[in-house]
Amino acid sequence: MKEIEGNSQQGDLAIFKWVAAAMVALLIGAIIFATRPAPPPRAPGEPDRLRLLGDFRMTDSTGREVTSAELRDKFLVVNFVFTSCTVSCAQVNQQMAEVQKLVAGRDNVRLVSLTVDPGTDTPPVLAQFGARFGADTNRWLMLTGDKQRIYELIEDSFLRRDANLTVSPMPGGFIGTDRIVVVDRTGRIRRYFDGFSQATPAAILNFLNELNSNS
Amino acid sequence: MTDMRPLLILLAALLVAGCNDHAAPTTATEKAMTNATPRTFEVRGVIREVPAGGQTLVVRHEEIPSYMPKMTMELNVRNTNEVLNLQPDDEITFRLVATDDTHWIENIRRVGRTNSAPAAAPVEAHLVRELKVGDDFPDAELLDEHGKTVHFSELRGQAVAFSFFFTRCPLPDFCPLMNKNLSAARRALLADKSTATNWTFISISFDSEFDTSAMLAGYARSYRGDDPSHWFFASASPSTLASIAPQIDFMFARGEDGGFSHNLRTVVLDAQGRIQHVFNGNKWQAEELAKEMKTATQTKP
Repeated sequence: MKEIEGNSQQGDLAIFKWVAAAMVALLIGAIIFATRPAPPPRAPGEPDRLRLLGDFRMTDSTGREVTSAELRDKFLVVNFVFTSCTVSCAQVNQQMAEVQKLVAGRDNVRLVSLTVDPGTDTPPVLAQFGARFGADTNRWLMLTGDKQRIYELIEDSFLRRDANLTVSPMPGGFIGTDRIVVVDRTGRIRRYFDGFSQATPAAILNFLNELNSNS
Repeated sequence: MTDMRPLLILLAALLVAGCNDHAAPTTATEKAMTNATPRTFEVRGVIREVPAGGQTLVVRHEEIPSYMPKMTMELNVRNTNEVLNLQPDDEITFRLVATDDTHWIENIRRVGRTNSAPAAAPVEAHLVRELKVGDDFPDAELLDEHGKTVHFSELRGQAVAFSFFFTRCPLPDFCPLMNKNLSAARRALLADKSTATNWTFISISFDSEFDTSAMLAGYARSYRGDDPSHWFFASASPSTLASIAPQIDFMFARGEDGGFSHNLRTVVLDAQGRIQHVFNGNKWQAEELAKEMKTATQTKP
């Protein structure tokens, strides 16, 4: 091909390449511009920014202390609960219960439910709540503890919080608490799933398989 | 012979795009980890825990640009003497050093305290300080079932127990259970002749829009019968709720269907207007409330 190209043709081609490169650069720029600032994560979706699981020390429904260190090197499937919740939490926990079934026998996966109302959700209250969904306390940890610390963990690691908090909203002013979040084995928050959707447990299982084969 | 510059520009554009993408911090982290020379960062944060032994500090640190987002981490301390006088809630600045395979913090300086105003600019103050047992309950205004304004301060000298509900609350083990408990506790106190008479129960609706005085009066009758003594129903305006709810960890939000998500808090104030006890949730018994009230009537200044 090159042999038959004249000089002028080569010039045209060069101009064409320059123009094409500029257009692609513009397009990429436009995409970056359009996607920043990042829109709020939709379900399912990617995190709004780099989010990593912070260190924590909490208490599970059996009264046992659980630290982030013991969950290092596990895949985590995380949701947010308050036991006074009547309908929506039950639906999301139903999907969590399905996930628990699907990952039975996999020791590198843990389910974690973080309460946003630790004043109400003491270990015995969480134990009763967990039993409703058949939570296996070795694989599905329902965690409670100091409210401020839990809120910091949720905000830093998982969810955005409404900045204009004038009252005391349930559930804690966090946005998108009805999602289920997958954390990889390095502690990086990877993906948010719709906690209401019956397709979510299978989608989470697929995603865990994908992550597992990549790691 | 082909001019490669356009391709280089394209490549550069892609790299820039890659760097702006959310994956970028990982590349930055990876870069830091493969870097032979240690990277150092000057960081600010708040101490969350000082684990025994002084080998580590649990710090909620601010974002470390191009390295790590804001988060709480247990960080290795190089010189354990540096943590000797540090406590949780201390605000600190420090240098984070990250090498290929380890990290530590040094040059730790205490610059303030989050809970003692006015320190240096707090990292963040999200939560209103919640009241504890023994704290004075602030005055607040309610609108009672007769359409009359009532202030908590007018009830000074009385033991007071109040709980939150809304009349449309559908679930028997939530709001209605609170009113049932108040009803049973009232019955017990009225029957106990050794109980003083300086006590009042208040059922407070947080749905003031729907729960008008007339609505509350009708609802009250279903729990109270014909004897209204020692118990009134009221509603709290949004501004009253905005002031008292966060202080007693009462949380609520109107749902899309007009209902509310909320937790349950039942607060006992002693005759001096101080918080004596808070019943959280619905796993408590009317007898416990009656007992708390009896004690609360007897508080001396």
